[in-house]
Amino acid sequence: MTDLQANTELLTKLNGLAAGLFLLTAFGMIAMRQVLACLKLFVWQSILLAASATILGFQHSSVHLFVVAVITVGTKSILIPWLLVRLVSQEAYARREISQVLNIPTSLLLGMALVILAYFASSPLLGGSQDPFVRMNLPVGTAGVLLGAYAVVVRREAVPQVIGLLAMENGSFLAGICIAPDLPIIAELAAAFDVLIIALVMGLLTRRIRERTGMTVVGKLASLKED
Amino acid sequence: MGSKGLRMGGVDVTEKILFNVVQVLVVMLVSPLVKGVLNRLKEAVQSKRGPSIFQPYRDIWKLFHKDEVISDSATWIFRLTPYVVFITPAFVALLIPVLTGYPLFFAFMGDMLGGGFILALGGFFATLAAVDAANPYGAMGASRTRMVGFLAEPVFMIVFFTVSFVAGSTIPYIVHKHWVNPPDNFFEPSHVLLMLAFLMLIIAETGRLPVDNPSGHFELAMIDESKGLEYSGRGAALMKWGASMKFLVLVCIYLNVVVTPWGLAQGESLGELLLAIPLVFLKVFVFVVVLVVIESSLAKLRLFRITEFLGGAFITSVAAMITRLLEG
Amino acid sequence: MELLVVLLVPALSAILCVLPIGGGLAALSTVVGCLAVFLISIHVALTTITRGHVIAFPGWISCDSFGALILLLVAFVGLTTSIFSLGYIRRVVPQEREGKKRRYYARFNLFLLSMLAVPAFSHLALVWIAVELTTLLSVFLVSFEDTSEALEAAWKYVVLTCMGAALALVGILILYWGMKIAGRGDFTWSGLIVASPDIPGPFLQTAFLFILVGFGTKVGLVPVHTWLPDAHSQAPSPVCALLSGIETTTVLYTIIRLLPALQGLSHGPGSWLMAAGLASAGTAAFLLLQVKDYKRLFAFSTVEHMGIIMFAAGIGGTSAYYGANLQMVAHSVTKAFCFLAAGSTLLVVGHREIASVKGLIRVSRPAALALLTGSLAIAGAPPFAVFLGEFSILKAGIQSGQEIPTVALAAFIVIGFCGVMYHVNRMVFGSPDEEEARVRLPGSVLVALGISAIPVFLLGGYVPGILEEMLRLAAASLGR
Repeated sequence: MTDLQANTELLTKLNGLAAGLFLLTAFGMIAMRQVLACLKLFVWQSILLAASATILGFQHSSVHLFVVAVITVGTKSILIPWLLVRLVSQEAYARREISQVLNIPTSLLLGMALVILAYFASSPLLGGSQDPFVRMNLPVGTAGVLLGAYAVVVRREAVPQVIGLLAMENGSFLAGICIAPDLPIIAELAAAFDVLIIALVMGLLTRRIRERTGMTVVGKLASLKED
Repeated sequence: MGSKGLRMGGVDVTEKILFNVVQVLVVMLVSPLVKGVLNRLKEAVQSKRGPSIFQPYRDIWKLFHKDEVISDSATWIFRLTPYVVFITPAFVALLIPVLTGYPLFFAFMGDMLGGGFILALGGFFATLAAVDAANPYGAMGASRTRMVGFLAEPVFMIVFFTVSFVAGSTIPYIVHKHWVNPPDNFFEPSHVLLMLAFLMLIIAETGRLPVDNPSGHFELAMIDESKGLEYSGRGAALMKWGASMKFLVLVCIYLNVVVTPWGLAQGESLGELLLAIPLVFLKVFVFVVVLVVIESSLAKLRLFRITEFLGGAFITSVAAMITRLLEG
Repeated sequence: MELLVVLLVPALSAILCVLPIGGGLAALSTVVGCLAVFLISIHVALTTITRGHVIAFPGWISCDSFGALILLLVAFVGLTTSIFSLGYIRRVVPQEREGKKRRYYARFNLFLLSMLAVPAFSHLALVWIAVELTTLLSVFLVSFEDTSEALEAAWKYVVLTCMGAALALVGILILYWGMKIAGRGDFTWSGLIVASPDIPGPFLQTAFLFILVGFGTKVGLVPVHTWLPDAHSQAPSPVCALLSGIETTTVLYTIIRLLPALQGLSHGPGSWLMAAGLASAGTAAFLLLQVKDYKRLFAFSTVEHMGIIMFAAGIGGTSAYYGANLQMVAHSVTKAFCFLAAGSTLLVVGHREIASVKGLIRVSRPAALALLTGSLAIAGAPPFAVFLGEFSILKAGIQSGQEIPTVALAAFIVIGFCGVMYHVNRMVFGSPDEEEARVRLPGSVLVALGISAIPVFLLGGYVPGILEEMLRLAAASLGR
């Protein structure tokens, strides 16, 4: 009994570690200037997501979650970065973003406020639940979604915007593996496939934009207005 | 030994005072060695031979035997500062766990905030002295040091608050026990984030890459080194020694309070205390290796990017605080 | 079974379109496929009236009357748009670029497939995936013309809607969690209604909020509507008809379908929906006044109508739900007709600026008539379908005691009416600056305009019994 309890304790702490580092990578996506660094952060974030899924798999003794972890690593850590690098030219990754909509320290502070917001938004949902994994993953997942959204809004380059979008999906998956661990495998597979299509579509579109306008700073495309 | 003396908490008071003194002496004597090892390792990583690890001792010895040249326009601040810079880390060494895992005689004289303030006092005087000598590079460096300092303050505060909140006390000796009992606590997300934030803080406060280049000679780019520019002879020796002591003190706080209290003497005999010296030195050595890796792989940040660096440290520490407050 | 066929046919057409066999095979297979889908969806609709449900895979792919209604709408607009595409694409894409034409038809089929999937799927996770696919499969249709404005519009479209979808995913996961806590029912629309009394209130509220904001981005909820005027004007006109006519409607359908599950909430989703609807309708009505591009005009009108439908859904009660559903049908067919008319105008004058188009009626009578009729219809003039829908919504609003919001909505409708008519009047009448030769429109374009005009006129006066029944059933399924 105590062995099981100790096991759960260790798993809880490890899961907490994965979730904490997940949050850190989400912040990194707002703060990193280099486009390639953003992509690497995304790879790490997906690996942390898979780690959390594996830990939950041990906890609930469910093969299902292990499969989810494997799918996550396969698509998000390997396939999607490869796809993004192949589709968008190398040159887009060699650069760094000169300016964002707000400067980075302000963005970091706003990001902090978003994390607090995520915790408050999840607290009525956590009211009854005593499951420590849910208590850790749900707020961090929601925070990941909000931070990803913020990254999309604040960055002007195309590839970091795509990565921000994918980070939002990562965040919702992190929340999902703890609150919906037995979602039918078909849904999980389809969702993973869907993320792949997002990367594919946006990669192709970025290439098209680059071919047509010679740059990938989509923040500068602002000609469609009322005046 | 001294069985007729006062007894406090079952341990001889005189022994406790003795241990405290030994602790300060160790910090004083070992800090140049740590600096020497760090420099040698950095050079070795760059495939150079590097100076001997005892070189800082020789430098300090040499400087003590040279004459001092002091500018006419310097005031008493300039003369006093080397002593302040030397003594403040020594004071802080009284308060923190360096060799022992249990509180010593002076341990309750000041807590972590007090230690932080005392170190800041040294930095304050160094900045004033740099301006005092009317060296233009001194003033530039002083203003930059202040900028880094004030940006690092919130991080210090949040880290200390989180650590104290977790352990329920602000005395370093009581705090460090929390992270290893039970061993799972080491992996707590708030702990890992705190370690990261404090590491970034040490890099900023001691002027290592990527914040500042400690081996640079270009005065226009100096931040932390500029405080020692004007000094010569005994003043220079004390400034150098004081800087290496500050480094060792910060590293000891980091390793023995925030990271892990392993290797500290738990028993009360002198033998155990002396045994702790090489163990602690081993820990410091591992940290030095990590620091060398970090320094060798990163380039120096441009000045305005230091705000982003310390902003990142701030966010990491606040994230540690929030994960602790809202999940626990 | 029929549902599977409905989904398979566009897929097959898409595959056929990709084959490098020249000579219009792609166009032909698309039209034939759409016709088949339309006929099957009529059959599905009739079956749901008599038998209540059409089930392909229980718990995954099934359709009730509300779903069948939307399916029918998608199929009808798909049919008219595909016929319109025949002539439009032949005119717009240069003769030698066969590959581009084939790609258009392939993407058209895939887009239609995703929109058919939304009402056909009943498992909520699959519905989310279908909604996400409607975006992803239409991105390259939006950027079809390959100008930098089109690319900009496509980028904003995909980024904003995918952000919304990620938010909605969180909402759906929270719903799933709530259903696990409730402990019964499967994760479908009907299962949700069954389990909803046992789901704790905060779960439903938070989930609804996430889904409203998330899918609301796709529907054109103010303030995340900014992509809509761009995407719905830069795309080729038949695609605009699909986007404005049915894509927004299908996503709004998913939001509205959540309402029966939220009955038990105290300060409920109704007020949020009403507020959102008013905000959308008001903002769109005012922005309508300053457009310079007639396709953007219709796009803002879409935002306005989505707001009106959301308002109606927020009022609650069977008559309001009936009004909302009627308005959904009316808006879909009318807006599709409007965009087809805009497309004909574009074929005639060659650009999208309102200020440069004058006296259209002298240049091409069919285009001008279509534009005029379409604008009158969408602005809400009697005797068109939209007028009936708006009237029933306003009536339901007054009857349920929400006088002030209803009056505000009526004011916004009037402002929108004035905006649309002012712009279109200038375009259709008046004397042109220089004498222009009459331009003939392709035959398929005229046929498409004709077919899509039928329900616009018809539903204004008389709602056929079958449709009436479906609307009634749909309103009843929304509860109370």
